[in-house]
Amino acid sequence: MQRIACPERDDWRQTAEACGFDFHTIDGERYWDERGYYAFTLEEIEERIEAPTGEIDAMCLELAGRAVDDEQILTRLKIPQTFWALISASWHRDEPSLYGRLDLFFDGHGPAKLLEYNADTPTSIFEAAVFQWTWLEQAIERAIIPKAADQYNSIHERLIEAWKKVGSGRPLHLTGLTESSEDYGTLAYLEDAATQAGLATAIIDIADVGWREGAGGFVDLDNRDIELAFKLYPWEWMFHDAFGAKLAEAPTRWIEPPWKAVLSNKGILPLLWETFPGHPNLLPAFFEDDPRAAEIGTSYVRKPLYSREGANVTLVSGGVPFASHEGHYGSEGFIRQALAPLRDFDGQYPVIGSWLVDHTPCGLSVREDAGPITGNNSRFLPHAIL
Amino acid sequence: MKRSRRVVLTLMGSAALATVARPLAARPIDCGPGLTAVPGANGVPYCRAIAGGFGGSFQHFHGHGHGNGHGHAGG
Repeated sequence: MQRIACPERDDWRQTAEACGFDFHTIDGERYWDERGYYAFTLEEIEERIEAPTGEIDAMCLELAGRAVDDEQILTRLKIPQTFWALISASWHRDEPSLYGRLDLFFDGHGPAKLLEYNADTPTSIFEAAVFQWTWLEQAIERAIIPKAADQYNSIHERLIEAWKKVGSGRPLHLTGLTESSEDYGTLAYLEDAATQAGLATAIIDIADVGWREGAGGFVDLDNRDIELAFKLYPWEWMFHDAFGAKLAEAPTRWIEPPWKAVLSNKGILPLLWETFPGHPNLLPAFFEDDPRAAEIGTSYVRKPLYSREGANVTLVSGGVPFASHEGHYGSEGFIRQALAPLRDFDGQYPVIGSWLVDHTPCGLSVREDAGPITGNNSRFLPHAIL
Repeated sequence: MKRSRRVVLTLMGSAALATVARPLAARPIDCGPGLTAVPGANGVPYCRAIAGGFGGSFQHFHGHGHGNGHGHAGG
């Protein structure tokens, strides 16, 4: 694994905007960054990222299957009891998942380690599936990268196939925070893939989802039933919103399904370690109030059960916090995970995003930051296989 | 060999980034319980289900675009 500096395509911004990628720069700061790329060997991709991703997903599914009917685990995960039946039913009905992204520590030395699983609302799918592929093709044409370069990326075609399977011909609503250009862009890309899968689609802001009394159900602005809904809005927020009380009554099928609420919770990290102790792709982890957390020692990462983009994460070394991100998360409690310090690549710290579509590992994204916590301002860099 | 593929977009880049825009003028009508009157595309009000039941948690964590960088629901 290497970080290789390279020239930018001089027209990359126009290229981005021409395909709807208008969140390439956020609040004036670079998000898409092609001043460099990460290069991997085929062996690193196939043996040390792709294969472990499948294995980690399988472990997560085994854990989820147990967790959905285990009151002790659901309590530990601080999932409100009101929704336990919803979660269990969605699992036992085998409600399908479209996608997810494992965040992995990997620096080319040793095995990849699971940092966390974005199982419910992973973003950067457009950048991973489409724009970094466009970069690869154009960078080869313009001799920015070697002609023989390749990329670990079959996300787009797998998404289309997954939508055919998940959609089953039903109309699809995609919902989320449409005022966020990043979230809207993600919805628009997934809508594009669903359309190519033959589904009728519509995007609706999450606040515009309505509830019809009588024959109860969620409806859109035209009073059409929302039969199948992709949501870029996390389950833990749905549960606490006013319409959370309607979820069990509504016939809507959600992507990602309710059982994914188990896996998007950082509490799965100690549960995975407890179930598969010593697994080479896992880091030791415990709930913070577990006396066994002392086994990790005085160097660890403190993470809220629920948070996103690194919010309220603290890195501690020798008992001394040395990096943290602020935020509004943590009221449900924290976990501690052994510290795997990100390797410094020319002053940057990368995290690997390993994508699964329909539980098949199929692509990779890299986000890097000048600091050791990946957050909202961390940049997306393309990658190549050399 | 992982490279020999084409990525085609059919919608992105061509559609305007917009939420549904509705004219504001509407005369009050009684829609009954669980429904609210909203202006239709041609200005004629129609009854639709009351919305706004999702989205509150985002406001709780991120206010109106303040706090914790650019608020969004993904991760």
